Amino acid sequence: MTGMAEPIHAQRSPLYFALRRFTANKAAVASAIVLAILVLMAIFAPLLTPTGYADQNYLTDALAFPSLQHWFGIDDLGRDFFTRNLHGARVSLTIGFAAAICSILIGIPLGAIAGYYGGKADWCVMRLIELFSVVPPLLAAMLLGALTKGGFVTIIVIASLFGWVQVCLLVRAQVKAFREKEFVRAAQALGATPAYIMRHHLIPNSISPIIVGFVLAMPLAMMLEAGLSFLGIGVPPPVPSWGQMINIGINFMYFYWHMAVFPTAALALTVLATTLFGDGLRDALDPTLKGR
Amino acid sequence: MIRYIAARLLSIMLTFLVVSVIIFLMMHAVPGGPFDGNDMPVSDAVKAKLNASLGLDKPLYVQYFKYMWGVLQFDFGVPFQSPGETVLELLARAWPPSLILGGLGVLIGAPLGILLGMAAALRRNTWIDYLASAVATIGLTIPVYVTSMMLILVFAVWLGWLPASGWGKPNSWILPIIAYATIPLATYARYTRSAMLDVLNKPFVTVLRAKGLPERKIIFQHVLRNAALPMATVFLPMFIGTATGSIFVEAMFRVPGLGAYFVSSIELRDYSLEMALILMITMMFCVSYLLSDIAYALLNPRIRVGGGEQ
Amino acid sequence: MTPALELRGLNKSFHLKTKGGLFPRYTELKAVRDVNLVLPTNSIIGLVGESGSGKSTTGMLAMRLLEPTSGHIFVDGTDITKLDHVALKPFRRKMQVVFQDSYSALDPMMTLQQIVAEPLHIHNIGISSDQKTEALNMLERVGLDRRYGGRYSHELSGGQRQRVAIARALILKPSVLVADEPTSALDVSVKAQIINLLLDLQKERGLSILFISHDLSVVRALTDEVAVMCDGRIVERAATETIFTTPRHPYTRALLDAIPVLNPRNRRTRTFLTREQINKATPRLRSTELAEKCEPKVEPQLVPISPNHHVEAIVT
Repeated sequence: MTGMAEPIHAQRSPLYFALRRFTANKAAVASAIVLAILVLMAIFAPLLTPTGYADQNYLTDALAFPSLQHWFGIDDLGRDFFTRNLHGARVSLTIGFAAAICSILIGIPLGAIAGYYGGKADWCVMRLIELFSVVPPLLAAMLLGALTKGGFVTIIVIASLFGWVQVCLLVRAQVKAFREKEFVRAAQALGATPAYIMRHHLIPNSISPIIVGFVLAMPLAMMLEAGLSFLGIGVPPPVPSWGQMINIGINFMYFYWHMAVFPTAALALTVLATTLFGDGLRDALDPTLKGR
Repeated sequence: MIRYIAARLLSIMLTFLVVSVIIFLMMHAVPGGPFDGNDMPVSDAVKAKLNASLGLDKPLYVQYFKYMWGVLQFDFGVPFQSPGETVLELLARAWPPSLILGGLGVLIGAPLGILLGMAAALRRNTWIDYLASAVATIGLTIPVYVTSMMLILVFAVWLGWLPASGWGKPNSWILPIIAYATIPLATYARYTRSAMLDVLNKPFVTVLRAKGLPERKIIFQHVLRNAALPMATVFLPMFIGTATGSIFVEAMFRVPGLGAYFVSSIELRDYSLEMALILMITMMFCVSYLLSDIAYALLNPRIRVGGGEQ
Repeated sequence: MTPALELRGLNKSFHLKTKGGLFPRYTELKAVRDVNLVLPTNSIIGLVGESGSGKSTTGMLAMRLLEPTSGHIFVDGTDITKLDHVALKPFRRKMQVVFQDSYSALDPMMTLQQIVAEPLHIHNIGISSDQKTEALNMLERVGLDRRYGGRYSHELSGGQRQRVAIARALILKPSVLVADEPTSALDVSVKAQIINLLLDLQKERGLSILFISHDLSVVRALTDEVAVMCDGRIVERAATETIFTTPRHPYTRALLDAIPVLNPRNRRTRTFLTREQINKATPRLRSTELAEKCEPKVEPQLVPISPNHHVEAIVT
């Protein structure tokens, strides 16, 4: 037997360094904590609130300001506003998450095909991306929303239709970069089909852009949903949505500030936290992705 | 080079056509025509006649071709909600508010953003940097109707300095312009900061410093030029996006601009107006992307000399 | 005896755009010209030349990782040049490759055991637990402890990674191994280990190795026969010692002169020849001096001056 190779201590994995980079970014860590709290509160919403979000139990006290019994006050239809806002968190986070998942389900295969095959396939995918880039998303979303009268699923579909582009571009860039690497050549030499190579080699190596794309697709989806609900073609009442509540709150803004401020603050906080978390994740996983 | 431009032109036109077909189909897929609403209840016979007069009873592809033929001659038809004028006239009436407010918003926001980004890049990790990053992030993550609302609350309600809505006097323009300016400001602050940092870290800048070139010259003559390229290409789409009016800002400040009319055209099923608006805006984006691509190709020596998409 | 690998009249041209615009202009780059090579069973053949001589391209062509512009490739006697993907698959088991850059040759997201077992996975040989055992056995055979199976490529040194690459290449028991500069990126001491490993494995399994390198000292230690490439064509081909002791082609001589020597006193004067000088110095031989009859031609051709020594010369 030839000379035995010297055993080496297990070196630190890239994940370790990524974690270190992430924790050095204070904004990202703070966002992660805030997000975690929000998610937990959203999951356990029914346990945390005394009433349901549609229960109009307090009609006599409608539009009351925040107090010890009603932390966020009472809305115009006699519902506990804290409850409404908390369930609004559920709605926004669910939609954001679901839309992000659909975005990556569409974006990953298209990006992989475009990156691997290049040429005509790439051209087609780029045309598709162009199609979705020239139409102003909000207008198209409004048209689609009017078409389908709003509703949960519609919004998720719309949001994913405009979110997949980013993921696709990221995956395409990564696949293009890795395609020329020798381990792909080696797999080809072994007789692997392109589908095999994409599934087992290229896509697993694209995990970081995929994660980043996912996390950054969430705030976009949430903003789109809030915008649509604000315009009245989003989540249908009585299901609470922050955008919807902001719309109503504006009418009461001059006297009953709590109607507008709480959903606004909630929305802003959630979007901010998700975006900063996503940015921190991207910087930690691959600092070279920054910029564009 | 010419080959590149021709190829891009063709593909953009293709994209535009596909979009127009899809939008057309989508619009007509919304059930109910302009005369189905309860505002002006009409009998079925009258409705049929009205629909026929507008050509709404013909098969879809006929309507599409008739429409696109008209578009080529800049005839967008007549809006249902105000039949006294053509769509073009209505748009001409509705666009100035959006253009002025949005355009000024970008023209004010972008340079400010660039300055902020430059300051942040040059004074890295000081409070200026953190402030700029915070402003940029907040500007991009807080929805524009939220900022509008806060502006109204602070300046109109609590301080009472400026009017909250309306379109007449110039001082009612101030708040909307600020609202419009946030996104360009934030975007450019971010871009400028990261682009400048990229260039500042490149070896050729160190060489320039070693040569003894004063910092000021380095920044303005070398760094900015290198960083300018991606920023220039982003400007046109952003300008168009803002100058066509934001639905939210116009709703909050009650400005009778393009955005407001778009909302009403959807509510009233005003096909001509809807179609015209989306097509126009899409066309403008197409043109702007084409121009940015060309500008990028012209400025980037790699494409200019290499001759084509690499 | 059918050779393990035979290349006949292999040509590869690349079309490069030199000028863009409305009427783009293309030039043709002939990377490999009329290459004939026979790799007998159970032997090691070296393919040497400078960077850009076309030797790596030849290796890629032999594996059909690049498609030849013309010519034929024979594996164990069968012409595989025009086979489609499905028909080619069983032949892929017979030829494998080891690359120079061991880092990018291993998928960073897979464990070593997965990497070595992958060929079995692609060709559906055995169930996964058998595949795992086989992979670990192979790791041991190339000199790595079995416990390395769960590690990742970034945890290894260059030499260790190259061992993993060799393990992956050999697990399907191929008859031909194309080694494209496998030792060029390694330290001197590690080079020796890898060379010894390759020699051992070759003897043990009766492998045929096409060893591509620009490192002549390694080639001398390892190979039975050497082919020298210049500008895409083979200019000399002979048994290893013959090439090193009695080279006939001026290019071969220039290459040998350029090998650095340990003792300064033994330094040779290096002759740095340009292309034109080399072309001018192409040996002119009369057809009677050759081992076989060859027609006189104006262009140089590869002719045998003795049964196992071919040189590119102009026959008069």
